[in-house]
Amino acid sequence: MEVLYERLGRQAFGLAYRILGDGPSAEDVVQEALLTVWRQADRIDSARGRLTSFVMTVVHHKAIDALRSKRGQQARQVSVDFAEVEKTGADFSDRVLQSIASGEVREALSKLPEDQRRPIQMAYYEGLTHLEIAEALRLPLGTVKSRLRLGLEKMRAVIRTGSGDELRRS
Amino acid sequence: MNCDEVEELLGAYALDALPGDVWADVRSHLATCSNHPEAAELRAVVGALAFAAPEAQPSATLKTRLMATVRQDATAVVEVSERIGILARIRKLSARRVVPYALAGALAVALIALVITNVGGGSEQPSRATVSLSGENNASAIAYELEDGIIVVDAAGLKPLDAAHTYQLWSIASGKPSSLGLMGTAPNGEALGVARANIKDIDSLAVTIEPAGGSLAPTTDPVLKGNT
Repeated sequence: MEVLYERLGRQAFGLAYRILGDGPSAEDVVQEALLTVWRQADRIDSARGRLTSFVMTVVHHKAIDALRSKRGQQARQVSVDFAEVEKTGADFSDRVLQSIASGEVREALSKLPEDQRRPIQMAYYEGLTHLEIAEALRLPLGTVKSRLRLGLEKMRAVIRTGSGDELRRS
Repeated sequence: MNCDEVEELLGAYALDALPGDVWADVRSHLATCSNHPEAAELRAVVGALAFAAPEAQPSATLKTRLMATVRQDATAVVEVSERIGILARIRKLSARRVVPYALAGALAVALIALVITNVGGGSEQPSRATVSLSGENNASAIAYELEDGIIVVDAAGLKPLDAAHTYQLWSIASGKPSSLGLMGTAPNGEALGVARANIKDIDSLAVTIEPAGGSLAPTTDPVLKGNT
Protein backbone atom coordinates (compact mmCIF):
# COMPACT_ATOMS: atom_id res chain seq x y z
CA MET A 1 0.00 0.00 0.00
CA GLU A 2 2.83 2.37 0.80
CA VAL A 3 4.21 1.96 -2.72
CA LEU A 4 0.76 2.46 -4.22
CA TYR A 5 0.25 5.58 -2.15
CA GLU A 6 3.66 7.04 -2.96
CA ARG A 7 3.09 6.37 -6.65
CA LEU A 8 -0.45 7.63 -6.98
CA GLY A 9 -1.42 9.53 -3.84
CA ARG A 10 -0.83 13.04 -5.21
CA GLN A 11 -2.39 12.27 -8.58
CA ALA A 12 -5.41 10.58 -7.00
CA PHE A 13 -5.89 13.39 -4.49
CA GLY A 14 -5.52 15.97 -7.26
CA LEU A 15 -8.34 14.35 -9.22
CA ALA A 16 -10.62 13.93 -6.22
CA TYR A 17 -9.95 17.52 -5.15
CA ARG A 18 -10.64 18.80 -8.67
CA ILE A 19 -14.03 17.08 -8.55
CA LEU A 20 -15.08 17.68 -4.95
CA GLY A 21 -13.39 20.98 -4.18
CA ASP A 22 -12.67 20.23 -0.54
CA GLY A 23 -9.72 18.44 1.00
CA PRO A 24 -11.34 16.23 3.67
CA SER A 25 -13.92 14.80 1.25
CA ALA A 26 -11.24 14.26 -1.39
CA GLU A 27 -9.06 12.42 1.14
CA ASP A 28 -11.98 10.19 2.14
CA VAL A 29 -12.51 9.28 -1.50
CA VAL A 30 -8.83 8.55 -2.09
CA GLN A 31 -8.67 6.38 1.02
CA GLU A 32 -11.75 4.42 -0.02
CA ALA A 33 -10.52 3.99 -3.59
CA LEU A 34 -7.01 2.88 -2.68
CA LEU A 35 -8.34 0.39 -0.14
CA THR A 36 -10.82 -0.95 -2.70
CA VAL A 37 -8.00 -1.57 -5.15
CA TRP A 38 -5.68 -2.89 -2.44
CA ARG A 39 -8.23 -5.48 -1.34
CA GLN A 40 -8.66 -6.71 -4.93
CA ALA A 41 -4.95 -6.58 -5.72
CA ASP A 42 -4.68 -10.29 -6.45
CA ARG A 43 -7.23 -9.95 -9.27
CA ILE A 44 -5.55 -7.05 -10.98
CA ASP A 45 -2.79 -7.15 -13.54
CA SER A 46 -0.39 -4.43 -12.55
CA ALA A 47 1.47 -4.55 -15.87
CA ARG A 48 1.99 -1.67 -18.24
CA GLY A 49 0.38 1.07 -16.25
CA ARG A 50 -3.01 -0.62 -16.21
CA LEU A 51 -3.08 -0.57 -12.44
CA THR A 52 -2.51 3.17 -12.50
CA SER A 53 -5.37 3.69 -14.93
CA PHE A 54 -7.64 1.44 -12.91
CA VAL A 55 -6.86 3.20 -9.63
CA MET A 56 -7.62 6.58 -11.19
CA THR A 57 -10.86 5.25 -12.66
CA VAL A 58 -11.94 4.04 -9.23
CA VAL A 59 -11.02 7.40 -7.68
CA HIS A 60 -13.01 9.19 -10.37
CA HIS A 61 -16.10 7.05 -9.89
CA LYS A 62 -16.06 7.35 -6.13
CA ALA A 63 -15.50 11.10 -6.29
CA ILE A 64 -18.39 11.58 -8.71
CA ASP A 65 -20.65 9.42 -6.57
CA ALA A 66 -19.69 11.51 -3.52
CA LEU A 67 -20.37 14.70 -5.45
CA ARG A 68 -23.76 13.48 -6.65
CA SER A 69 -24.59 12.42 -3.11
CA LYS A 70 -23.70 15.92 -1.87
CA ARG A 71 -26.08 17.35 -4.45
CA GLY A 72 -28.80 14.97 -3.33
CA GLN A 73 -28.60 13.00 -6.57
CA GLN A 74 -28.49 9.23 -6.91
CA ALA A 75 -25.17 7.51 -7.50
CA ARG A 76 -24.76 6.50 -11.12
CA GLN A 77 -25.57 2.97 -12.21
CA VAL A 78 -22.17 2.59 -13.79
CA SER A 79 -19.74 -0.14 -12.87
CA VAL A 80 -15.98 0.13 -12.65
CA ASP A 81 -14.66 -2.76 -14.65
CA PHE A 82 -10.99 -3.61 -14.68
CA ALA A 83 -11.53 -5.96 -17.61
CA GLU A 84 -12.52 -2.98 -19.73
CA VAL A 85 -9.08 -1.48 -19.29
CA GLU A 86 -7.76 -4.55 -21.02
CA LYS A 87 -10.20 -4.45 -23.95
CA THR A 88 -8.41 -1.55 -25.57
CA GLY A 89 -5.77 -2.63 -28.06
CA ALA A 90 -2.23 -2.79 -26.71
CA ASP A 91 -0.97 -0.17 -29.20
CA PHE A 92 -3.57 2.37 -28.23
CA SER A 93 -3.10 1.62 -24.53
CA ASP A 94 0.60 2.32 -24.93
CA ARG A 95 -0.15 5.56 -26.74
CA VAL A 96 -2.52 6.61 -23.96
CA LEU A 97 0.17 5.98 -21.37
CA GLN A 98 2.74 7.92 -23.39
CA SER A 99 0.29 10.79 -23.81
CA ILE A 100 -0.36 10.87 -20.09
CA ALA A 101 3.35 10.86 -19.29
CA SER A 102 4.13 13.61 -21.77
CA GLY A 103 1.27 15.83 -20.64
CA GLU A 104 -0.35 15.51 -24.07
CA VAL A 105 -3.73 14.57 -22.61
CA ARG A 106 -3.87 17.70 -20.49
CA GLU A 107 -2.78 19.83 -23.41
CA ALA A 108 -5.24 18.16 -25.78
CA LEU A 109 -8.11 18.88 -23.41
CA SER A 110 -7.08 22.47 -22.88
CA LYS A 111 -6.81 23.08 -26.62
CA LEU A 112 -10.24 21.78 -27.50
CA PRO A 113 -12.64 24.50 -28.60
CA GLU A 114 -14.54 25.81 -25.59
CA ASP A 115 -17.88 24.54 -26.90
CA GLN A 116 -16.49 20.98 -26.90
CA ARG A 117 -14.25 21.20 -23.82
CA ARG A 118 -16.92 22.59 -21.50
CA PRO A 119 -19.47 19.74 -21.97
CA ILE A 120 -16.69 17.19 -21.55
CA GLN A 121 -15.55 18.84 -18.31
CA MET A 122 -19.13 19.02 -17.05
CA ALA A 123 -19.58 15.32 -17.70
CA TYR A 124 -16.22 14.19 -16.37
CA TYR A 125 -15.52 16.52 -13.45
CA GLU A 126 -19.07 17.39 -12.43
CA GLY A 127 -20.76 14.05 -13.07
CA LEU A 128 -23.57 15.53 -15.15
CA THR A 129 -25.55 13.53 -17.69
CA HIS A 130 -25.96 14.77 -21.25
CA LEU A 131 -29.49 15.86 -20.35
CA GLU A 132 -28.26 17.90 -17.39
CA ILE A 133 -25.53 19.46 -19.53
CA ALA A 134 -28.03 20.40 -22.24
CA GLU A 135 -30.23 22.02 -19.63
CA ALA A 136 -27.36 23.88 -17.97
CA LEU A 137 -25.95 25.17 -21.26
CA ARG A 138 -29.39 25.71 -22.78
CA LEU A 139 -28.48 23.68 -25.80
CA PRO A 140 -30.46 21.07 -27.73
CA LEU A 141 -29.67 17.55 -26.51
CA GLY A 142 -28.48 16.53 -29.97
CA THR A 143 -25.91 19.34 -29.94
CA VAL A 144 -24.52 18.19 -26.60
CA LYS A 145 -24.29 14.59 -27.83
CA SER A 146 -22.36 15.60 -30.92
CA ARG A 147 -20.02 17.99 -29.05
CA LEU A 148 -19.15 15.32 -26.49
CA ARG A 149 -18.40 12.87 -29.27
CA LEU A 150 -16.47 15.35 -31.41
CA GLY A 151 -14.30 16.52 -28.52
CA LEU A 152 -13.40 12.99 -27.50
CA GLU A 153 -12.70 12.01 -31.12
CA LYS A 154 -10.23 14.87 -31.41
CA MET A 155 -8.46 13.82 -28.24
CA ARG A 156 -8.39 10.25 -29.51
CA ALA A 157 -6.79 11.39 -32.74
CA VAL A 158 -4.16 13.38 -30.84
CA ILE A 159 -3.33 10.36 -28.71
CA ARG A 160 -3.19 8.11 -31.78
CA THR A 161 -0.88 10.32 -33.79
CA GLY A 162 0.92 12.10 -30.98
CA SER A 163 0.24 15.29 -32.89
CA GLY A 164 -1.76 18.36 -32.01
CA ASP A 165 -2.66 18.93 -35.67
CA GLU A 166 -6.07 17.38 -35.11
CA LEU A 167 -6.92 20.10 -32.63
CA ARG A 168 -6.20 22.83 -35.09
CA ARG A 169 -8.74 21.31 -37.50
CA SER A 170 -11.72 22.26 -35.41
CA MET B 1 -31.23 0.14 -29.62
CA ASN B 2 -29.74 0.08 -33.13
CA CYS B 3 -26.23 0.95 -34.34
CA ASP B 4 -27.13 4.52 -35.37
CA GLU B 5 -28.60 5.28 -31.97
CA VAL B 6 -25.53 3.83 -30.28
CA GLU B 7 -23.20 5.90 -32.48
CA GLU B 8 -25.09 9.02 -31.52
CA LEU B 9 -24.66 8.26 -27.81
CA LEU B 10 -21.09 7.00 -27.89
CA GLY B 11 -19.46 10.19 -26.56
CA ALA B 12 -21.89 10.47 -23.66
CA TYR B 13 -21.54 6.73 -23.03
CA ALA B 14 -17.74 6.95 -22.86
CA LEU B 15 -18.07 9.76 -20.33
CA ASP B 16 -20.67 7.88 -18.25
CA ALA B 17 -22.94 10.84 -18.97
CA LEU B 18 -26.04 8.79 -19.73
CA PRO B 19 -28.86 7.84 -17.37
CA GLY B 20 -28.16 4.37 -15.96
CA ASP B 21 -30.71 2.47 -18.03
CA VAL B 22 -29.59 4.07 -21.31
CA TRP B 23 -25.94 3.49 -20.40
CA ALA B 24 -26.72 -0.18 -19.78
CA ASP B 25 -28.53 -0.46 -23.14
CA VAL B 26 -25.51 0.95 -24.97
CA ARG B 27 -23.19 -1.35 -23.08
CA SER B 28 -25.33 -4.38 -23.92
CA HIS B 29 -25.34 -3.41 -27.59
CA LEU B 30 -21.55 -2.96 -27.65
CA ALA B 31 -21.04 -6.35 -26.02
CA THR B 32 -22.54 -8.11 -29.04
CA CYS B 33 -21.91 -5.72 -31.95
CA SER B 34 -18.61 -5.31 -33.77
CA ASN B 35 -19.62 -2.13 -35.65
CA HIS B 36 -18.23 0.25 -33.03
CA PRO B 37 -14.52 -0.49 -32.65
CA GLU B 38 -13.84 3.06 -31.53
CA ALA B 39 -15.93 2.67 -28.36
CA ALA B 40 -13.16 1.08 -26.28
CA GLU B 41 -10.69 3.74 -27.39
CA LEU B 42 -13.07 6.55 -26.47
CA ARG B 43 -13.41 4.99 -23.02
CA ALA B 44 -9.62 4.89 -22.79
CA VAL B 45 -9.46 8.58 -23.72
CA VAL B 46 -11.90 9.34 -20.91
CA GLY B 47 -9.76 7.26 -18.57
CA ALA B 48 -6.80 9.44 -19.49
CA LEU B 49 -8.76 12.55 -18.47
CA ALA B 50 -8.05 11.53 -14.87
CA PHE B 51 -4.47 12.65 -15.49
CA ALA B 52 -5.49 16.04 -16.82
CA ALA B 53 -6.25 17.23 -13.28
CA PRO B 54 -3.24 18.81 -11.56
CA GLU B 55 -1.56 16.79 -8.82
CA ALA B 56 -2.11 18.00 -5.27
CA GLN B 57 -0.63 17.14 -1.89
CA PRO B 58 -3.00 15.50 0.59
CA SER B 59 -2.49 15.95 4.32
CA ALA B 60 -0.06 13.64 6.11
CA THR B 61 -2.93 12.04 8.01
CA LEU B 62 -4.23 10.36 4.85
CA LYS B 63 -1.21 8.09 4.63
CA THR B 64 -1.39 7.38 8.38
CA ARG B 65 -5.06 6.42 8.10
CA LEU B 66 -4.45 4.22 5.09
CA MET B 67 -1.56 2.35 6.66
CA ALA B 68 -3.52 1.85 9.90
CA THR B 69 -6.40 0.30 7.97
CA VAL B 70 -4.05 -1.97 6.05
CA ARG B 71 -2.52 -3.14 9.35
CA GLN B 72 -6.03 -3.85 10.70
CA ASP B 73 -6.80 -5.89 7.57
CA ALA B 74 -3.60 -7.86 8.04
CA THR B 75 -4.49 -8.57 11.68
CA ALA B 76 -7.90 -9.82 10.63
CA VAL B 77 -6.29 -12.20 8.14
CA VAL B 78 -4.03 -13.59 10.85
CA GLU B 79 -7.01 -14.10 13.17
CA VAL B 80 -8.91 -15.99 10.49
CA SER B 81 -5.84 -18.13 9.80
CA GLU B 82 -5.59 -18.96 13.49
CA ARG B 83 -9.22 -19.91 13.64
CA ILE B 84 -8.91 -22.12 10.60
CA GLY B 85 -5.90 -23.69 12.33
CA ILE B 86 -8.30 -24.96 14.97
CA LEU B 87 -10.00 -26.95 12.26
CA ALA B 88 -6.90 -29.07 11.77
CA ARG B 89 -6.73 -29.73 15.50
CA ILE B 90 -10.39 -30.72 15.63
CA ARG B 91 -9.82 -33.15 12.79
CA LYS B 92 -7.08 -34.84 14.82
CA LEU B 93 -9.25 -34.98 17.92
CA SER B 94 -12.11 -36.38 15.88
CA ALA B 95 -9.95 -39.07 14.32
CA ARG B 96 -11.92 -41.73 16.15
CA ARG B 97 -14.79 -40.82 13.86
CA VAL B 98 -14.47 -39.68 10.31
CA VAL B 99 -15.49 -36.07 10.17
CA PRO B 100 -17.49 -35.71 6.94
CA TYR B 101 -15.62 -33.56 4.48
CA ALA B 102 -18.73 -31.50 3.76
CA LEU B 103 -18.99 -30.64 7.39
CA ALA B 104 -15.45 -29.36 7.50
CA GLY B 105 -16.44 -26.30 5.45
CA ALA B 106 -19.45 -25.70 7.62
CA LEU B 107 -17.23 -25.99 10.63
CA ALA B 108 -14.81 -23.39 9.32
CA VAL B 109 -17.73 -21.03 8.80
CA ALA B 110 -19.05 -21.84 12.25
CA LEU B 111 -15.68 -21.11 13.77
CA ILE B 112 -15.58 -17.70 12.21
CA ALA B 113 -19.22 -17.01 13.00
CA LEU B 114 -18.64 -17.82 16.61
CA VAL B 115 -15.88 -15.23 16.75
CA ILE B 116 -13.65 -17.35 18.85
CA THR B 117 -10.94 -15.14 20.24
CA ASN B 118 -7.64 -15.57 22.05
CA VAL B 119 -6.80 -18.78 20.31
CA GLY B 120 -3.13 -19.45 20.72
CA GLY B 121 -1.00 -21.65 18.51
CA GLY B 122 0.01 -23.89 21.38
CA SER B 123 0.98 -27.53 21.30
CA GLU B 124 -1.51 -30.23 20.42
CA GLN B 125 -3.33 -31.15 23.61
CA PRO B 126 -5.87 -33.93 24.08
CA SER B 127 -9.34 -32.74 25.03
CA ARG B 128 -9.43 -31.99 28.73
CA ALA B 129 -13.00 -33.00 29.38
CA THR B 130 -15.57 -35.02 27.55
CA VAL B 131 -19.29 -35.57 27.87
CA SER B 132 -21.04 -38.58 26.39
CA LEU B 133 -24.50 -37.99 24.97
CA SER B 134 -26.88 -40.78 24.04
CA GLY B 135 -30.28 -41.12 22.45
CA GLU B 136 -32.68 -43.52 20.78
CA ASN B 137 -31.77 -45.75 17.82
CA ASN B 138 -28.07 -45.82 18.72
CA ALA B 139 -27.66 -42.08 18.25
CA SER B 140 -24.74 -40.84 20.28
CA ALA B 141 -22.28 -38.01 20.58
CA ILE B 142 -19.13 -37.01 22.35
CA ALA B 143 -18.49 -33.44 23.42
CA TYR B 144 -14.83 -32.49 23.68
CA GLU B 145 -13.50 -29.51 25.50
CA LEU B 146 -11.02 -28.24 22.95
CA GLU B 147 -9.88 -25.12 24.76
CA ASP B 148 -11.17 -23.24 27.74
CA GLY B 149 -14.54 -22.03 26.57
CA ILE B 150 -14.68 -24.04 23.32
CA ILE B 151 -16.41 -27.37 22.93
CA VAL B 152 -16.81 -29.62 19.92
CA VAL B 153 -19.77 -31.96 19.69
CA ASP B 154 -19.26 -34.92 17.37
CA ALA B 155 -22.49 -36.87 16.83
CA ALA B 156 -23.46 -39.98 14.88
CA GLY B 157 -26.61 -41.98 14.23
CA LEU B 158 -28.86 -38.96 13.82
CA LYS B 159 -31.65 -39.25 11.29
CA PRO B 160 -31.37 -36.86 8.34
CA LEU B 161 -33.79 -33.94 8.58
CA ASP B 162 -35.79 -32.18 5.90
CA ALA B 163 -35.04 -28.56 4.97
CA ALA B 164 -37.64 -27.28 7.40
CA HIS B 165 -35.82 -28.66 10.46
CA THR B 166 -32.42 -28.57 12.08
CA TYR B 167 -30.56 -29.99 15.04
CA GLN B 168 -29.85 -27.52 17.81
CA LEU B 169 -27.35 -27.90 20.61
CA TRP B 170 -28.20 -26.76 24.15
CA SER B 171 -26.35 -26.39 27.40
CA ILE B 172 -28.40 -26.79 30.55
CA ALA B 173 -27.38 -25.20 33.82
CA SER B 174 -29.63 -25.08 36.92
CA GLY B 175 -32.45 -26.41 34.77
CA LYS B 176 -32.20 -23.53 32.30
CA PRO B 177 -31.37 -24.32 28.65
CA SER B 178 -29.18 -22.00 26.58
CA SER B 179 -28.69 -22.41 22.85
CA LEU B 180 -25.16 -23.28 21.74
CA GLY B 181 -26.06 -23.11 18.05
CA LEU B 182 -27.21 -25.28 15.17
CA MET B 183 -25.62 -28.47 13.92
CA GLY B 184 -25.38 -29.49 10.28
CA THR B 185 -26.07 -33.14 9.51
CA ALA B 186 -24.48 -35.32 6.87
CA PRO B 187 -26.65 -37.87 5.01
CA ASN B 188 -24.94 -40.66 6.99
CA GLY B 189 -26.28 -39.24 10.25
CA GLU B 190 -23.08 -37.58 11.43
CA ALA B 191 -23.12 -34.05 12.75
CA LEU B 192 -20.60 -31.68 14.14
CA GLY B 193 -21.10 -28.62 16.30
CA VAL B 194 -18.64 -26.11 17.71
CA ALA B 195 -19.70 -23.79 20.48
CA ARG B 196 -18.50 -21.43 23.14
CA ALA B 197 -19.18 -23.00 26.49
CA ASN B 198 -17.34 -24.09 29.64
CA ILE B 199 -18.17 -27.66 30.51
CA LYS B 200 -17.51 -26.97 34.18
CA ASP B 201 -20.28 -24.36 34.19
CA ILE B 202 -23.01 -26.59 32.80
CA ASP B 203 -24.95 -29.57 34.11
CA SER B 204 -25.77 -31.26 30.82
CA LEU B 205 -25.75 -30.99 27.05
CA ALA B 206 -28.68 -31.81 24.79
CA VAL B 207 -29.58 -31.86 21.12
CA THR B 208 -33.14 -31.25 19.92
CA ILE B 209 -34.87 -31.04 16.55
CA GLU B 210 -36.06 -27.50 15.90
CA PRO B 211 -37.58 -25.56 12.99
CA ALA B 212 -34.98 -24.37 10.45
CA GLY B 213 -33.19 -21.37 11.84
CA GLY B 214 -33.41 -22.66 15.40
CA SER B 215 -35.51 -21.78 18.42
CA LEU B 216 -35.01 -19.53 21.41
CA ALA B 217 -35.82 -22.45 23.72
CA PRO B 218 -36.18 -26.20 23.06
CA THR B 219 -39.55 -27.07 21.56
CA THR B 220 -39.08 -30.85 21.41
CA ASP B 221 -37.65 -33.55 23.64
CA PRO B 222 -33.92 -34.13 23.27
CA VAL B 223 -32.77 -36.70 20.75
CA LEU B 224 -29.39 -36.70 22.52
CA LYS B 225 -28.61 -35.88 26.10
CA GLY B 226 -25.67 -36.31 28.48
CA ASN B 227 -24.64 -35.06 31.90
CA THR B 228 -21.29 -33.44 32.57
